[in-house]
Amino acid sequence: MMSSKIGFRLKRSALCVVTAVSMACGGVAQADEWPDDNIRLVVPYSAGGTTDLLSRKVADLLQRELTTVVVENRPGAGSTVATGQLARGGRGSDHMLLMASPGHTIGASLYPNLRYDPVADFAFIRNVINIPNVMVVPGNSPYNTVAEFVEAARAKQLSFSSPGIGSSVHMSGELFKNLTQTQLIHVPFRGSGEALPALLAGDVDVAFENMPTVYPHIQSGKLKALAVTTPQESEFLPDVPSMQQAGAGYGLENYETSAWFGLIAHKSFPEAGLEKLESALAKIMSGEDFQNFLPQFGAVAGEEVGDDFRTMVDNEVAKWSEVAEQANLKR
Amino acid sequence: MEISEVQSSKAASDHYGLLNPNSVLGGVFFVLSMVFLFFIIPNYINLPPYMQHPLLSPQFLPQLAGWLVLILAFVLMVSGLFNPPKREEADELRRGVPVLRQVLMLAAGAIYAMFFEQFGAIGSGIFASVLLFLASGLRSVWIYALAVVFPVVVSLLFIHVLNVPLPTGTLWEALFQL
Amino acid sequence: MDNFSEVLTLFLSVDNFLAIAAGVLIGVVVGAIPGLTATMAVALALPFTFSMEPVTAILLLVGIYKGGMYGGSITAILIRTPGSPASACTLLDGYPMAQQGHAKKALKTALYSSVVADLISNIALIFFAAYLAKIALNFGPPEYFWLICFSLTIIVSVSGNSAIKGLIAAGLGIIISTIGLDAVYGTQRLTFDNYNLMDRVSFIPLLIGLFAIPEVIDFYTSKVAPHIRTAVSGASLTWKEFKGSLKTVIRGSVIGVIIGAIPGTGATSAAFISYSEAKRTSPRKANFGKGEVEGVAAAEAGNNGVAGATLIPLLSLGIPGDVITAIILGAFMIHGLTPGPVLFQENLPLVYALFCGILVSSFVLVFVGNAAIRYFSLIADIPKTILLPIVLMFCIYGAYAVNNSTFDIGLMLAFGILGFVFNRTGVAAAPFLIGFILGPMFEDNLRRTLLISKGDPTIFFRGPIAWVFITLTVASLVFAFRRYWVSRKEQQAEA
Repeated sequence: MMSSKIGFRLKRSALCVVTAVSMACGGVAQADEWPDDNIRLVVPYSAGGTTDLLSRKVADLLQRELTTVVVENRPGAGSTVATGQLARGGRGSDHMLLMASPGHTIGASLYPNLRYDPVADFAFIRNVINIPNVMVVPGNSPYNTVAEFVEAARAKQLSFSSPGIGSSVHMSGELFKNLTQTQLIHVPFRGSGEALPALLAGDVDVAFENMPTVYPHIQSGKLKALAVTTPQESEFLPDVPSMQQAGAGYGLENYETSAWFGLIAHKSFPEAGLEKLESALAKIMSGEDFQNFLPQFGAVAGEEVGDDFRTMVDNEVAKWSEVAEQANLKR
Repeated sequence: MEISEVQSSKAASDHYGLLNPNSVLGGVFFVLSMVFLFFIIPNYINLPPYMQHPLLSPQFLPQLAGWLVLILAFVLMVSGLFNPPKREEADELRRGVPVLRQVLMLAAGAIYAMFFEQFGAIGSGIFASVLLFLASGLRSVWIYALAVVFPVVVSLLFIHVLNVPLPTGTLWEALFQL
Repeated sequence: MDNFSEVLTLFLSVDNFLAIAAGVLIGVVVGAIPGLTATMAVALALPFTFSMEPVTAILLLVGIYKGGMYGGSITAILIRTPGSPASACTLLDGYPMAQQGHAKKALKTALYSSVVADLISNIALIFFAAYLAKIALNFGPPEYFWLICFSLTIIVSVSGNSAIKGLIAAGLGIIISTIGLDAVYGTQRLTFDNYNLMDRVSFIPLLIGLFAIPEVIDFYTSKVAPHIRTAVSGASLTWKEFKGSLKTVIRGSVIGVIIGAIPGTGATSAAFISYSEAKRTSPRKANFGKGEVEGVAAAEAGNNGVAGATLIPLLSLGIPGDVITAIILGAFMIHGLTPGPVLFQENLPLVYALFCGILVSSFVLVFVGNAAIRYFSLIADIPKTILLPIVLMFCIYGAYAVNNSTFDIGLMLAFGILGFVFNRTGVAAAPFLIGFILGPMFEDNLRRTLLISKGDPTIFFRGPIAWVFITLTVASLVFAFRRYWVSRKEQQAEA
């Protein structure tokens, strides 16, 4: 049961008093009046993480266009607790958004008996931010190209680190392992802060980390970037090839992963809301503030809107489901 | 009068008998750790199909901790039998506490544990605080006013200043919706 | 010289001083509220810093961090409710002191130990950052493993009267900590298919439940004891008393600095290790756990020593050691700065302006802390009949607020009952907490070590750092057992 919140109630009842003269209180607001209440943006992770940080920035920009946006952190079981609550809908879900990320699609494979469908139960608004992952090896590593690395990994067991099981960093590694037919050993840490020292010191052989985490270390030469995981090269690492190019001939022709962050809502989200949000997002994303914000995270603006976004998520769910199965992670 | 009673009962048995707290505690933990080791671990900790090393097993740490508790609980139980601990004064303070006082406390706990969503943060805060004030037999009216003022002020503080949402209470929502 | 004036222009602004003061104040208040942590406050303050100057923004967040470290101890001392995990150690002696009418003395001890530790930590940050960062980078999984083993040996010294019961409690804490999805294989462990348990047991409800709730239950299951009216009137801390603990404070700070410089270990371990060391060497060791000034000083020095030091790996390597520094890293990035060696090369004046601000924050803490003591110590004068229902309400709201989940309320009350049973049967709660915190770290690092070495056990003995901690672990164990036998002999001699 989705509990609604006092702050929300108070606002709502004040509004009711104003409009009660002519309208029945609690009635459905006119569609074109959306938003007639504060927008709540649910972050399915704890305060302080990347998703939280990005969400708060987006909320900040969004409320200049629409109305007050309240960010709520609702961590639990990957992101599946908050997502499950959103899927059930109920009161207030017509003003509730959720910042979905790879956890949304990976969690569908990793967590047992989810009570929602990660695609069918939601309305997809827009993919807002994409952060590429980078394949990095320690600075003193003998491998200088993806090809060299794969050859070595086929000859002997190498290891890769991740900030935790089921993270996009972990799954990028598992995907790599599957496509190249190698036996990389996964070494999980708790958060990038713990994972990074092991990589820098050469205790693990490779990682498929998020760009902002490793970028300063690539700059200082402590890490070597072998490839970026997006189909295009990143403007931040112009000399580094994409995995698809660098890994051609090793099964990596279709390799593609990235950390994406996009807004979703309950499937019954009002049509007018979707339209307003789409145009508001288009406006802020072309704005200077947002454009200046992106480079700090090595990020690019997400492009998929509405149904394209849904298709993207659908494909991701299928992809990770297969990878999870191969890695014995599927429940 | 009361004090002398306490002292006399203390003088009568400075030490516990066989049924002393240490042996009972050790016995309880011993049984619980047996259940944990031989029933809960095999049934509720799933093993992956493939492991690189036996020490990597998800069951390893729970088993280690389980055996630690099992062995120490046994030691505690036996040492309690041979060397019963002394009675403490604090135990005497617990004799003759009114039942109502304890029942009211349990009721307050139950309100928070089971009806927090239904009554909401403010509602359950008021109910539980009133019950606890009653349990202490407080008589003055202004104290009961506190039981209303505090939940209201604190939840508003959480929600508006600290930006932490608390439930309003589905019960009230249902009522006012009518 | 140019650089010097640039540092001053960057640092000397009204905004910076306001940010530090506001940050410390917010930190102290939020840290003191059960269930609300400095982490939460830093995260919530982050969006407000988007539009600030970089130095101001980061000083605000650092101020909250430092204030929160101290604030957590206020309620730990007054109402046995640790505002943050690290202050769980402070209450071991702080709460008994408050119960004996020395609340003010305990609060002042905590404050001045915090300030001294903070200052030492800041100085370490400014002068030894490069050196300590190098140590941190040499800490791989095997070294962590031995550090955790060493930390586990402190369980015996916080076990109260019975080492056996303490170890049982630690075992139970470890068992509870294994609930959730397995970190390596993702299989379910003891979750009983309950969603709320998949991400492990939430820490804050456990913490509050274990320490604060038993006080409430205890109060309503015993006869009403007369209220001891004390706190504000209670004596303050004298210089002589504090001087007696100064050695402990300095040692605690150094422990805090070392632990803080190693990412991912945390203030809680530092506080307990410092406490255990103080107890081992103190002439008044028998009084530890019963209201000893030195115990409070050791705990607070340990956890505040961490605060400045966690900035070492952050600033010099760009590696966040805990959640708060991860958020501060985010703040750097938002302002287009990347912590790490590059920051020192390209933005040296900015780094030094930050250092100035961080140093100033220690002194601000003295003022804010003293003001906080004045008002918060009034709490100790409220009769328990009125205070405890309100404390309970705060705990409930706080437990709910962590994850917006009523499940956590139930969890907190369940741990409250466990804590009450522990109290009644003479089992110390602190070992349970240590088991809960260190258990997963022990397991994670054991497994990581075996994974990176592909099962080769010689990696556990691979270098000097590992050997240092092996030696410490063995020495600490030998010492603990010897003391245990001596005290048993004494008991038997008495009987």
